[in-house]
Amino acid sequence: MRTDTPQAPQSGPPAAGGVIHDLGYRRYDGPRLGRSQIVAALAWHSFRSAFGFGRSARAKIIPVIVFVAICLPAAINAFAMSRGNAQLVFYDTYVPVLRDLVMTVFVAVQAPELVSRDLRSRVLPLYFSRPIKPGDYPLAKYLGFTAACLVILEVPLLFLWAGAAANVHGGAAVWAQTRALIPGLLVGLMWAVSLAAISLFLASLTGRRAFATGAVAITFLLTYTLAEILLQVETQSAINQGGVGPGGVPAATLAMKVSGLFSPFTLFNGVRLWLGGTNPGDNVAQPGAFGAVYALVLIVIVGLCLAGLAARYRKARLS
Amino acid sequence: MSSSPPAGQDGPVAALAGPAGLAGPAGLAGPVIEATALSKVYPGDVTALAGLTVAFAAGVTGLIGANGAGKSTLIKILLGLLEPTQGTAKVLGYDCVKDGMTIRQLVGYMPEHDCLPSDISATEFVTHMGRMSGLPATAARERAAESLRHVGLHEERYRQIGTYSTGMKQRVKLAQALVGDPRLLLLDEPTNGLDPAGRNAMLELIARIGEEFGISIVVASHLLGEIERICDRLVAIEAGQLLRADTIDSFTRASQTLLIEVEEGGAALQKELARRGLRAQPFQRALLVPIAGDHTYDAVRDSVAALGLPLSRLEQRRHRVEEIFRDDDQPGQLNEMEAADAY
Repeated sequence: MRTDTPQAPQSGPPAAGGVIHDLGYRRYDGPRLGRSQIVAALAWHSFRSAFGFGRSARAKIIPVIVFVAICLPAAINAFAMSRGNAQLVFYDTYVPVLRDLVMTVFVAVQAPELVSRDLRSRVLPLYFSRPIKPGDYPLAKYLGFTAACLVILEVPLLFLWAGAAANVHGGAAVWAQTRALIPGLLVGLMWAVSLAAISLFLASLTGRRAFATGAVAITFLLTYTLAEILLQVETQSAINQGGVGPGGVPAATLAMKVSGLFSPFTLFNGVRLWLGGTNPGDNVAQPGAFGAVYALVLIVIVGLCLAGLAARYRKARLS
Repeated sequence: MSSSPPAGQDGPVAALAGPAGLAGPAGLAGPVIEATALSKVYPGDVTALAGLTVAFAAGVTGLIGANGAGKSTLIKILLGLLEPTQGTAKVLGYDCVKDGMTIRQLVGYMPEHDCLPSDISATEFVTHMGRMSGLPATAARERAAESLRHVGLHEERYRQIGTYSTGMKQRVKLAQALVGDPRLLLLDEPTNGLDPAGRNAMLELIARIGEEFGISIVVASHLLGEIERICDRLVAIEAGQLLRADTIDSFTRASQTLLIEVEEGGAALQKELARRGLRAQPFQRALLVPIAGDHTYDAVRDSVAALGLPLSRLEQRRHRVEEIFRDDDQPGQLNEMEAADAY
């Protein structure tokens, strides 16, 4: 340890004029974090920046709006149940169209915040010159953003549960609510790991933040619209061919099921129904055994996006 | 600021005498950087380094080379981010291929280009970079504040970086390299984009870090004239090969010349000097003779005496290092630069 600690700045050679930055230099001989801890620190930093923490007030606007918007149904449900109504909002579907829209806005605005910003300011060489490996950077960003998406997806479910549990009577009813919550949380996890992978990959393609936001938003909205139009068309043609099942709803044809493959949101719903979800999805045909294809396609998409994200940062560039 | 060699030596030695816990396996007595027959050929047969063998001692070393000489490739290899095609490189005793992570913990790097986000404050940014260097949260905050103070950023460190001048941004870049308490700093063109006053301030800062903080520094630059002022040693590379590596003193000693001015008979004197084996170059109304040793002075004295010329000026001149790298067959350029230098 050197003698010129800050407690005794005057003990060193007298600095001419006593300028403040002539306080002596101090060595750091405390503990140092290992690679995994640095990755965890970067993931935590990314998680925080997904909500605008550590940024200006303006950066917090969208996360706050998104969070409030997606929590509203839980509050409305609690209010309705307190007035004696049946449960309006369910754990595994939540409010489908609202959730699609809100999550699209969230990942379109915040994924560029995590990756495009660093590309734009060319800060990556500073990360690469630190004791981590190039692949650790996208890994940490992915972990942080998945966690951020989980917060937006799961916290409203917890509010929903709390509101419902407060309005039902008896331990059995609360237990029933809790058991219904668990599949909802798992569906939320599926959404989070998928949305984070797709949006981070798309955002990592450009350092121009507006372009990145546009690319993510257009991808999610266009694919969803495409899947919906195809479903409408195929449903109509199924009705025209007289394949109307009980209650005026046509039995799901293969073409109707295939139309659900075109959008992440319909894939989520298809997989949920395949895994035994009972609440009807508003935007996807009942998949039956075809749900396995949904799951496979979703896994392939997420895998490709993660591989693309890793490839984007494989070469540690210093300029 | 001119770096006085004694002070430049005392600083690091005094600081390194303590129990430096993070010394490499080779200890601190050995060279901080050692490259042996280092080659890098990029795909497409682009040769960036061609058998570079050089050692950097502790202290402040200038790494000189034109753009494309291989400086950036060398830095990438030293940071363990690029594998050499052939040869080995060691930093602080660690192998660059095997121990890249350890090296990156001990080395601070300041890139040449802009690398700062504009919408957060310098404090937050340097703290974050301290975390990425492996500092725990509290230590990162403390060291960020100290590093920013050391580079001369005070109250403005709470302002967003986007509002900074180029000089302040360069200081933030230096602070983020310093925050992890490195044993070695790699600074790539640290005076890039600065005005003369800013350049001087940055050079002073680097010299101070080298002398007082006991951190070895490699300053890569293509501007010899300015970094020779702060370096103990120079390493010059060209086309991926070592041109020369030596102390500043021996660089300048080799370039000492004698300026001889006679009131008349300059041409005759030049001829007489040539007869005695001295290659004199006309410089304005005087002659310049490279000093090869004491016998040079004798030969000049004897020549002037033999011709009986009225000697009006005899002056020993210390050449700038820059002239060593210039082709000898460009006397015109020499004269221009001499003129600018002398008057």
